[in-house]
Amino acid sequence: MERLIRDLVISAGLVFPQLVWADKVVFEETVKPFFEEHCVSCHGTQKSKGDITVHTLRGEMVEGDLEHWELVLEMLEDGEMPPEDEPQPDAKSREAVAKWIESGLRHYVEKESKVAVATTTRRLTNFEYQNTMRDLLGFELELSRDLPADPDKPYHFNNTAQMMMIGPDQLIRYKEAARKAMASAIVDSGKPELHQSSAKWDHGKPGKGGLTQAEIGVYQGPGLGKKTMGLKSWPKTGEFKLRVKASGNLPPGFQEVPLRLVMGTSLRHDSGSGICHEVGVVHLTNTPDNPGEYEFRGRIENVPVQPSSTHRNKVRPPSITVTAQNIFDNGELNDHRKSGFDASWSLEAPRVVLESIEFEAPVSEIWPPEHHTRILFESSLRENKPAEYVYEVIKRFMTRAFRRPVARDEVDHYYRVFKVYDAEFETLEEAMRETLAMVLVSPQFLFHTVIDQAAATKPYELASRLSYFLWGSMPDEELFDLAASGELDDSAVIEAQTRRLLSDKRAEGFVENFSTQWLSIAKMKTVNINRDLFPRFLYTVHLGERRGQEQLFRPTIRDYMLEETVGFVGELIKTNASVMSVIDSDFAYLNEPLAAHYGVDGVRGLTLRAIPVKPEHRLGGLLTQGAMLIGNSTGSAPHPIYRAVWLREAILGHEVKPPPAEVPALSDSAGHSADEAVSIKDLLALHRQQESCADCHVRLDPWGIPFERYSAIGKYQPLVPKEKVRVRGFHLKTDKTLADYQEYLKSIYTEEVDASSRVPHGPEVDGMSELKRYLLKERQGEIVENVIRRLLTYSIGRKLTYRDRFEVERLLKLAKGNGYKLQDIIVSVCQSPTFTNNP
Amino acid sequence: MTQKSWHLDRREFIRGGGAALALPFLQGMSWGKTTPGKALPKRMVVSYIAYGVYEPKNKDGSHHDWSWWPCKEAGPLSFNQSASPFKPLVNSVSYLRGLEHAGGVGMGGHSSGDVFATGADMSGTEKTNNISVDQFAAKMSGHKTRYASLVLGTEGGTGSYGSAKTLSHYGPGRPIPSLHRPQEIFNRLFNPYAGKGIEQVRADLKREASVLDLMMEDSRKLQGRLGKEDQVKVEEYLDSIRALEKRVERTSQWTHESLPDVDTKGLNLEVSHKDPEEYTRCMYDLLYLAFQTDSTRFATLMLESEHSSGSEMWNYANYVLGYKGATHDIAHKRPTESGKWDNWRAKQHAYFLDRLRNTPEGESNMLDQTVVVWGSAHPHASHSTKNYPIQVAGGKALGFKHGKLHSYEGENKVPLANLFVSMLNAVDAPVEQFADSSGEMTELTG
Repeated sequence: MERLIRDLVISAGLVFPQLVWADKVVFEETVKPFFEEHCVSCHGTQKSKGDITVHTLRGEMVEGDLEHWELVLEMLEDGEMPPEDEPQPDAKSREAVAKWIESGLRHYVEKESKVAVATTTRRLTNFEYQNTMRDLLGFELELSRDLPADPDKPYHFNNTAQMMMIGPDQLIRYKEAARKAMASAIVDSGKPELHQSSAKWDHGKPGKGGLTQAEIGVYQGPGLGKKTMGLKSWPKTGEFKLRVKASGNLPPGFQEVPLRLVMGTSLRHDSGSGICHEVGVVHLTNTPDNPGEYEFRGRIENVPVQPSSTHRNKVRPPSITVTAQNIFDNGELNDHRKSGFDASWSLEAPRVVLESIEFEAPVSEIWPPEHHTRILFESSLRENKPAEYVYEVIKRFMTRAFRRPVARDEVDHYYRVFKVYDAEFETLEEAMRETLAMVLVSPQFLFHTVIDQAAATKPYELASRLSYFLWGSMPDEELFDLAASGELDDSAVIEAQTRRLLSDKRAEGFVENFSTQWLSIAKMKTVNINRDLFPRFLYTVHLGERRGQEQLFRPTIRDYMLEETVGFVGELIKTNASVMSVIDSDFAYLNEPLAAHYGVDGVRGLTLRAIPVKPEHRLGGLLTQGAMLIGNSTGSAPHPIYRAVWLREAILGHEVKPPPAEVPALSDSAGHSADEAVSIKDLLALHRQQESCADCHVRLDPWGIPFERYSAIGKYQPLVPKEKVRVRGFHLKTDKTLADYQEYLKSIYTEEVDASSRVPHGPEVDGMSELKRYLLKERQGEIVENVIRRLLTYSIGRKLTYRDRFEVERLLKLAKGNGYKLQDIIVSVCQSPTFTNNP
Repeated sequence: MTQKSWHLDRREFIRGGGAALALPFLQGMSWGKTTPGKALPKRMVVSYIAYGVYEPKNKDGSHHDWSWWPCKEAGPLSFNQSASPFKPLVNSVSYLRGLEHAGGVGMGGHSSGDVFATGADMSGTEKTNNISVDQFAAKMSGHKTRYASLVLGTEGGTGSYGSAKTLSHYGPGRPIPSLHRPQEIFNRLFNPYAGKGIEQVRADLKREASVLDLMMEDSRKLQGRLGKEDQVKVEEYLDSIRALEKRVERTSQWTHESLPDVDTKGLNLEVSHKDPEEYTRCMYDLLYLAFQTDSTRFATLMLESEHSSGSEMWNYANYVLGYKGATHDIAHKRPTESGKWDNWRAKQHAYFLDRLRNTPEGESNMLDQTVVVWGSAHPHASHSTKNYPIQVAGGKALGFKHGKLHSYEGENKVPLANLFVSMLNAVDAPVEQFADSSGEMTELTG
């Protein structure tokens, strides 16, 4: 918006701007007088707020200006301009001006714009890279953690072509990752050496702490709450198997206990050192008289190894530790102490009974493994016509890696690469690893490309677009087949495929990747929670040098909150619910710790699922979820500005400008210290009194105030302390139990939170329920349009421009007729010519 | 906006900039006092801190004890509490007040960090940034060491426009991802062959060169089949391949020099962000080791980005000071935490400078052979993009003079890029102009 009309003026002075629209009559009679009356006083020669001037506008629309005209149009349509405190134009002339601009845009888009509109070639995101390698190779290898992080920008997707850059450093990493992948995918000939380790524990008499040797209680201190086994040896690559014999010691009232297995370095809860890889979780419901055997599998390459070290002149070899944990969590584990879990929980809560662990690698029931023969397939050709065999191996691999049939000259090329390696390596396996690694650093693999004027590859490009949109990965056999047969052209086939892809497990990755970026929730994990004010929110270490800090190595309530939001969106897609459920819904997506946090009874276990909620729970929709509320708080207090920005960006689809340079901070401008307990509403009011702040904040703050009854940790909290009263933290000496501390809080939380504000161009709303009601009733169009725009942007990997405006309009209309159903909207996006690249 | 006038073709810069591998002429150990006849290395570091520094003023006009600036008046340095870690280094540091990059002024306080080491006109004509000062030097003199430059950060990667997580750029649209994992940095610096024999490494490199040739050929063919806009993206790829080719060439040359033998005692390469002091010092130690072994001479270190909310950096102030809030918020709070935070950062930087100074080199020490810039493009709480906090240290043997606070306020105003010109000329990367510079920083070098 900044350079809007300034640019209009500049480009009008260009040498040969192509004139795309001119309706001088309407311009002179309606548009020009409108701008003169309502705009020029702030955006003219005297003042140019937001760096915008309109006094030189002429009655023509030229190419290059169109994006800016669209912004003017949006301002008019959304009622953002003229500002509320200025005289308002009547609806008729506002509409007439909007229509004039809109007709111009439509005219251009329909008649003149048949050319390619934007860069579509972009490299795979790390998320797509990881998934593609998984599906290409047939096993999960963690590769993306060694690639440079993708650029990220709040509320934007990281898959837009402009942002996805590549450089030599990135390319080196791709090469390393590709070689690592091929080292695992192709095995050497001959039966591998088997590596085995095992450990046993006795489930006999309870010891001093009340637990038997085989029992694992919930974590309560250094060295407790886990059992470990060191591996004697392990192969460099390959699949491994962990078999455990286990059961649950379940006190009355408990149905299950979760056992989690991780592998990596030795985990030190007290010093916080160690890294691990999760192998799996099993929810044990069987009792010790009936122990079960459970098998987990994984890839040894993904397991962090403790490097060799020297200690008192003794060399310790590299090591891998298997750790079994009891991750039971009912949200109330540390309710009795300053930090850490109450020791009594280790007996009151369910215990894991772990009788044995057996490790074996590589898994070799079928040898060579399937992922090997998928590449170096069994054939007599290998012996008889080696050159032909090599050619065929390369061709098959390339076809899948390039996600389309490959041309002869392309295969020839990699055959030449093979020859280079073949000359120096002794075995076919070695030379092939290197050759195929180069296929994996080729631009055809690393980039999403659209081959110009090539009808033959078009269906494959569409197959890829579908799979990368909904799976973040390469197409599967079925999509390839449909592309080959030409059936993918049919919109009924696209619909069926879209629904099939969405119902596949791989779609979970899409939902997570899309929701996390759309809602910008990742930051909630690093908000610094004030542990004095919220002594119970985090599980903290109660001994050692990390005393008082959050426990590591187990899922936390914040992990569950991220899963809650992602799972919620997934549930809307799965059940084809209305998009408006993002504002309010009759269910929440919870597990036991989350339910305990939000005050919902009767939810058991760690598995998140849709739980019906009642109005008194004050849940439903995205607005009251922890990920949003915590991510947009300070960790001590709610932050109405962050929350307002979130609502406007993520839900209403506005672009909110960051504060300009030289703007004093909130507390400075208000002349108060933020440390004092001045109500935030007063503080904001003072901030708005400053002219420099007012322009933006009158349109911002009102959206955040209604969130004020939700605390920094996302709990409903209608009462706060009086002004200038400082809340003291939990003291074990003063407060014997949590109940005592809660009594204390009750005694000082005496003031009702003021959460009423008048939304711009809207009514007065008091608190969350009224805000939701208003959004549901008055802002439907905007909210649904935003979701459509987000989906479309994400699906095609580029920003939308004025050219896409009319397609978005069409999709919105379609959605409206369909009850705004989310899965149907995704289908319509996939059928859209903008997506299929088939205008 | 004045055009940059470099002595080299700009296109060449972008292409060749990727070549970041080259050799030490000594076998690893520090230069010590006994290398007659050979020129001592001339080095440069740019180091960045984020979220502003504390700049309070006392009502009575005296200098505030917790101001980031060590003293109030221009002239000889005295040190307040905040800057006290630099007291022992008084003859090796200077403070420059009133400087900024004009190109970053319009970007907003949380984005101007992008141009800290480039001075590019990102709010105007150079939207995709431009070459950074370390890469300019690396381009000219990087061939003298095994690695042309070392790009470090604490969050890793490049970030995106307006929220960079690296200070270094090969050129427009070519940010260099910063390295942030100590173990990985160590391996890339000192164990580049991953245990392979030298003959093996050479054979591998030779083969790699032929394969890269083939890759180039094939990628060009693909490029021809794409639409116009898309060809640009593949050009990025081709540029990367070209850069890799040069790297391979250099790496093979350097295989004739043995790798330095590095003592890892006292280095905890497994350290995490949960221990800010240990982590930060480990990064400084790695930088020190890279210099001491003459593995590289040009480095950047982005100690914090201006957008760290997704990383543990966000909690540093909490881990270090027990401050109940995000590191960013500290800039907006009064007063002691902010001052203490600056003081903590000063301690870490002083630790690095001190280590350099305590290592003899030639007639003096490593610090005298290294010019170090430390500062931020996000001066204080108000998100201003003007008047950066800037400290320059070291480089006395390269012509730098220290011990003063220089004021460039009001009539004395000059572009910050002038400092870059002086630095480049001091490290054998002669240049007349860099970014929007108007001359040299003669007060420091004259």
